[in-house]
Amino acid sequence: MSKKTNLLLQFFSSVKLTIVLLILIVLVFILASFLPQHRETAEVVKQLSPNAAKLFLFFGLADLYHSPLFYLLMVLLSFNLIICSLQRLPVSLKQYRASCFPEPSGLFENIPDNRVIFTDKEKAQASPILEACLREKYGNSKKSETERGLLFCVERRRFSIFGVYAVHLGILIMIAGAVAGSLFGFEADVNITEGESIDTVRIAHGKEIRKLDFSVRCDKFTVELYDNGAPKTYRSDLSFIRNNQVESKGALLVNHPLTFADLRFYQMSYGVSPETKAIMTYSDDRQKSAEIALTQGDFFAIPQYNIHAHVLRVEENVMQMGPAVKLQISASGKDFPLWIFQQIDEIAAANPGLFSQVPVFNPGLFKPVVFSLKRLERQYFTGLHIVRDPGVPFVAAGGALMVAGLLIIFLLPHRRIWVKIQESGTKTAIIVAGRSNRHSAGLEKQIAGLRDLIRRKIPS
Amino acid sequence: MSHETIFSWVTFIYFASFVLYLFQVVLDKNFWGRTASLFARVGLAAHTLAIFWRWKASYDLGIGHVPLTNLYESLIFFAWTIILIYLILEWRIKSRSAGVCVVPVAFLAMAYASIAPGISDKIEPLIPALQSNWLTSHVVTCFMGYAAFTVAFGCGIIYLVQDAIMGKTEKKTGISGRLPSLTLLDALIYQCATLGFIFLTIGIMTGSIWAHYAWGSYWSWDPKETWSLITWLIYAIMLHSQYVRGWHGKRMALFAFIGFASVLFTYLGVNYLPGLHSYLKS
Repeated sequence: MSKKTNLLLQFFSSVKLTIVLLILIVLVFILASFLPQHRETAEVVKQLSPNAAKLFLFFGLADLYHSPLFYLLMVLLSFNLIICSLQRLPVSLKQYRASCFPEPSGLFENIPDNRVIFTDKEKAQASPILEACLREKYGNSKKSETERGLLFCVERRRFSIFGVYAVHLGILIMIAGAVAGSLFGFEADVNITEGESIDTVRIAHGKEIRKLDFSVRCDKFTVELYDNGAPKTYRSDLSFIRNNQVESKGALLVNHPLTFADLRFYQMSYGVSPETKAIMTYSDDRQKSAEIALTQGDFFAIPQYNIHAHVLRVEENVMQMGPAVKLQISASGKDFPLWIFQQIDEIAAANPGLFSQVPVFNPGLFKPVVFSLKRLERQYFTGLHIVRDPGVPFVAAGGALMVAGLLIIFLLPHRRIWVKIQESGTKTAIIVAGRSNRHSAGLEKQIAGLRDLIRRKIPS
Repeated sequence: MSHETIFSWVTFIYFASFVLYLFQVVLDKNFWGRTASLFARVGLAAHTLAIFWRWKASYDLGIGHVPLTNLYESLIFFAWTIILIYLILEWRIKSRSAGVCVVPVAFLAMAYASIAPGISDKIEPLIPALQSNWLTSHVVTCFMGYAAFTVAFGCGIIYLVQDAIMGKTEKKTGISGRLPSLTLLDALIYQCATLGFIFLTIGIMTGSIWAHYAWGSYWSWDPKETWSLITWLIYAIMLHSQYVRGWHGKRMALFAFIGFASVLFTYLGVNYLPGLHSYLKS
C-alpha cells in the first residue's frame, strides 16, 4: 500500500472525523431550518443586495438539503462509515472467535473481599455444585483447569458484536435508497376537475412535462365536514384508463394512497374550479328538453327552430338578482344577447312589465322556445400528488436493519461471565467477574445475582 | 368533575411532589422522600385515569380518537411519560434523589398545558391527515423518547451539582451524601439516553412511514423532521463518544443538557417555524 492511500485510509477511518462530520451536518441542519428553503427563495433573494444574493445562491443556502455542501458531507460520512466499519470488522471477528480461556488479563483484579465467596467445602466438592448453579442460570458452561484454579465461563449473545454493523449498513442502505429515489424517481402535482381526465403531469421542481401511458379520471370528489366546520374526509373516486378501458377504480383518501402502474397517488388538496357549470333546459309548446350542462364558451343548438346559442357568461349573482347565464342567440341570421335568470318568475312578479322594458331578460323571447336555468353547479377539482420512488424499499429495509441493530446492541449486549474457584488458605474461594461490550450496569446485576445463587447453594 | 379538573389536581400533586423531593434533599429525612414518591404515584394514577377519561369522552362526542392529537394533549402525555419513566427508574435504583430535577419538568408541562395562551383543551375531531393508525405509535414512541431524555437531563443536572460539591470537599457529606454517587449518575445518564435514543429512532421511523402514506414522501425536510434528526444526531454523537472515546462523567452530563435543549426545540421551538407539524397553525 502506498503512503498516500495509507494517509487517506487513516483520515477516513478516524472516529474523530465521524464526530466532526456529524457536528457539521447538525450545523447545516440548524441553518437550513432557520433559513427559508426553496419555495420562498425568490422573495428572500430579492430583498438582499446583489452581492449577498450571489453569496446566498453560491453556497446553496436557498436549498441546503440539495446543495453541493450537504452532498459532500453525506459522501464523506458514507466513506467514513464504510472504512471505519471495514477496519473494525477483523477486530470484531477476532472477538467473535475468541475463546473464553485464557481469561482477559486483569479480570479478577480489584475485586473487594466482600464480593468473594469463601467456603469450608473442598474445591473438588464445591466445583460440581458451582457448575450446577451455572447450568441452572445459563445452561452449559465451559471450564478450564489452570494453575491459578478451576475456571468456568458462560457466554451469552455473542452475535451482539455485529449489531453495530447492522446499524451502519442500515444507514448506508437508507442513504443509497434516498439517492436512488432522487435519481430515478419523480414527484408531480396535478389538478383534475370532476368528470375530467388527465394523461400528462408536470414534474415538480422542473419544467418537464411527462406523458403517462394511461389516463386518470376523477369521477367524483367529495368533502365531508364535521359539525364545527373542520374537514372530516377528502375523497376522490378515480378511474385509471388504458386504451379506452377502465383498468382500475378506487377511492383515494388522505392517508390511503392508490397505486397504479408504478405510480402512487395521494390526495393532496382540492379546490373549486373557476368554471361554474350551468344546468339549463328549454321547452316549446309540446315538450321539455333534457338538462344540459354548460360552461362559459360552450355552444348548443335547437335544430328544429334553427337556433344556435353561445354561452358568453355564467354568473353567480347578476345585479342582486341571483344566478344567471348570458347567451348569444343566433336566429334567422341575426345575433341577440339574452340573459337567463334562475329566479326569473320571482323577478318578473316583482317588476311588472319587465319583459316589455327589458326584452333581453325574457326567457321566452324566441317563441315558442322558452329557456330556463335550473341551477348552477360549482365544480370541484382534486389535487393529486403523484410519486414514483424506487428507493422506498431500500430505505424501509435499511431502517428495519438499523432498528434491529440498535435493539441488539443496547438490549441484548454480549456478556461473558467467568467464575474462578481456587484454594485460599484453609478455605475455598469463589470469584465471579465479567465483561460486556456495553455499559456494565446490567452485567453488574447479573454477577450479583449469580453470586447470590452461589452463596445460597454453597454456604460458607 | 371532569377530566380537566383531574388534570389540574394532578398538576398541583406534581408540584407538591417536587417540593417534597426538594425537602428530602435538603433536610435528610426519609419521610419526605417517601411522601414525595407517594405523591408522584398518586398523581400518575389520577393522570392515567384522566387520560382514559378524556379518551372515552371523545367517543361520547362521536369523534372518538386517542388523546394525542394536539398540543394540549401532547403536553399532558409528555408529563405522563416523564413521571412513568422516572418512577420506574426510582424503583430500579432505589434512590429518590433524581426526583427533584425530573418531577418539576412534568409539573411545568402540565402547567404550561393549562395556562399558556392559544392552547385549546377542547376535544377536536380529527382532520383527515391525522386519521391514521400510525398516529398512536408515532406519538407514543416519540414522547417515550422525549421523557427518557428528560430523565437523563435530570440526572445530568444532579451529576453537575454533585460534581461541584464533591470537587470542594472530596467527601460525601451533607447534601452530597443524599445524592446518588457519580458512578451511578453516570450510568443512569447513559442508560436513559440509550433508552431515549431507541425510542426516538423508532419514533422517527414510524413518523416516516406515516409520512409515506399521508404525504407521499418519507422525508420532506419539514423543520420538525430536521430537528428530530438534529436531536438524534446529538445523542448519536454522545453515545459514540462514550463508546469509542471513553468519554464519561461531566461531558456526558453536558451532552444530556444539550440534548434536552434540542428535544425542547424539536417539541416546542419548531412550532414557530413554518412547517407541516405546526401545532399552532391549526
